[in-house]
Amino acid sequence: MNELDLHKWRYQTVVAGVRWKNPVGTASGTFQLDACGDYYDVSGLGAICTKGVSPVPWEGNPGPRTAESPAGMVNAVGLQNPGVDHYLVDELPRLKRLGAMVITNVAGHSDDDYAQVVGKLADSDADMLEINVSCPNVSHGGMSVGTDPVALGRLIARLRKLTDKPMIVKLTPNVTDIVAPARAAVESGADALSLINTLVGMRIDIVTGEPIIANTTGGVSGPAILPIALGFVWRVRQALPQVPIIGIGGIDSGEKALEYLYAGANAVEVGAAALSDPTAPMRVACELDELLETRPELARCLAEGRTWR
Amino acid sequence: MTATSFMSTRPGASSRQVLGGSVRAADQVVAEAAAAGRIPGRRTTRVVSQELLNDHQGIYRLVLSDSYTAAHAEPAQFVNLYPANSQMLLPRPFGVAGVHGQDVELIYQIVGAGTEEFSHLVSGDSIDMMGPLGTPFDVSGRADYVLVGGGLGIPPLLYTAQLLAERDDVQVTTAFGYRDGHFAQETAARYVPPERMHAISDAQGNVVDLLNDIEDGLGDADLPPVILSCGPMPMMRAVAKWAARRGMACQLSLEARMGCGYGACVACVVDTPQGRLKVCKDGPVFTSERLGWNV
Repeated sequence: MNELDLHKWRYQTVVAGVRWKNPVGTASGTFQLDACGDYYDVSGLGAICTKGVSPVPWEGNPGPRTAESPAGMVNAVGLQNPGVDHYLVDELPRLKRLGAMVITNVAGHSDDDYAQVVGKLADSDADMLEINVSCPNVSHGGMSVGTDPVALGRLIARLRKLTDKPMIVKLTPNVTDIVAPARAAVESGADALSLINTLVGMRIDIVTGEPIIANTTGGVSGPAILPIALGFVWRVRQALPQVPIIGIGGIDSGEKALEYLYAGANAVEVGAAALSDPTAPMRVACELDELLETRPELARCLAEGRTWR
Repeated sequence: MTATSFMSTRPGASSRQVLGGSVRAADQVVAEAAAAGRIPGRRTTRVVSQELLNDHQGIYRLVLSDSYTAAHAEPAQFVNLYPANSQMLLPRPFGVAGVHGQDVELIYQIVGAGTEEFSHLVSGDSIDMMGPLGTPFDVSGRADYVLVGGGLGIPPLLYTAQLLAERDDVQVTTAFGYRDGHFAQETAARYVPPERMHAISDAQGNVVDLLNDIEDGLGDADLPPVILSCGPMPMMRAVAKWAARRGMACQLSLEARMGCGYGACVACVVDTPQGRLKVCKDGPVFTSERLGWNV
């Protein structure tokens, strides 16, 4: 047995009333059970956040879907997934059998789409829901909802009536003031916020002069966005002192996860780093565990469901 | 593996260090994964050698020491190589071109900053890698396996030829198309009898012309011809069509712009009648039927 799998997690956190065994989860879009589960014990992480689940199967965008960028990458997958009915009989029960804490990421093209998925998940074994109103790579829904506080508030209020599950709203950084959608989500019934989704960007092939990604633009992730994402977490924490926050963006080490916790996050999700090392989320969790040993005050805050700021 | 050992490295950090100083050395990662019943992930391996195969096209042969890949790689499987420069986040995938003892051969061309970095590796250096990855050619049947390759699609077919050469229930034919220098013929000659080795350069024609020339000699009643192809997409489409017209079985190992290379990011898809499939994990090998290229 891998000692890593037997690691006794010493420092827990609480997100919207849900206790995680450690403050590190996977970020949506970078975790597939059939790929990642080969490399580590998925029950060892604080949470597994799935790829976006839509009401019907989505084929996503045409290729190419990805391009490297300095210390990061641009992607426009477009939420390809086999749909919620498949998810409910396949990936979700398999994740639960493996002992994972599951956050189901919910995707839609319209309010009705989101409502349909949330309704179907309401009685499922999913531990938490993450409402993806921030994908920059779908033509309707996604980011277009997350950038409009009024539309977002209306959607979240509707979804709130459909489920008692802890509902996290994942916000987009592609706005002038992130506090407005953050506040709208919380006032409409969101239990927590995760921030940030990817930033809109692109790369151009200098041989053809054309965009590398078929979708033209995509979402930028990776270490390049760490200071930007951290700034958003800080700003939302200052504006909304009570809401649970999951920090996401460029985390590839325990030290970087720690920065988010000091900025006021309750937990973090590791995304792009998993694409260059499948075990990255687990490694970050192990590193953070060591770092929290020498930071008992921060560790106590998290264990009690509070945050450093 | 302890939390402490996991802590002390991060992607890129261990590359180019002395192997003994890296706690994510290949042997350790492999042993721990085996103990946990898992697949070994990213690990640091030692460079055995590197040589320039074709100066004009910038084609290199890189040999790495990785006992796990050497023991497990199947034909058309690939490994991820990770640039040491952390500005470059994503792996570069390369088909295994040969295995000798614990040594794994890769043949690649400089096409960008990542491969340019790799071209400077010399014996004794370290590099991070992961693999073998992907769905291999199905070579379980008795057949005359016709290896149809173009350019940098040829290297995985060299390893396929190497494995098939160990069997007495198959026959192997090669049909390789090169831009100019025939960089792989010498290696192929170790595994394939000279009368069944065929090659063509761009100046002479393409591999379909070559297949037309050699068609009459392919397979027999006992060993039906099975095409195994790897090369540029237009070439493989033409090869699939050629095989379909003759009712020949055809498997194709696709190239794609990949993200993670192990099935997590769903970036490297190919359109098929069953929807968009992942080249890195559902493939890189697909039958022409699965791709809908058999019509």
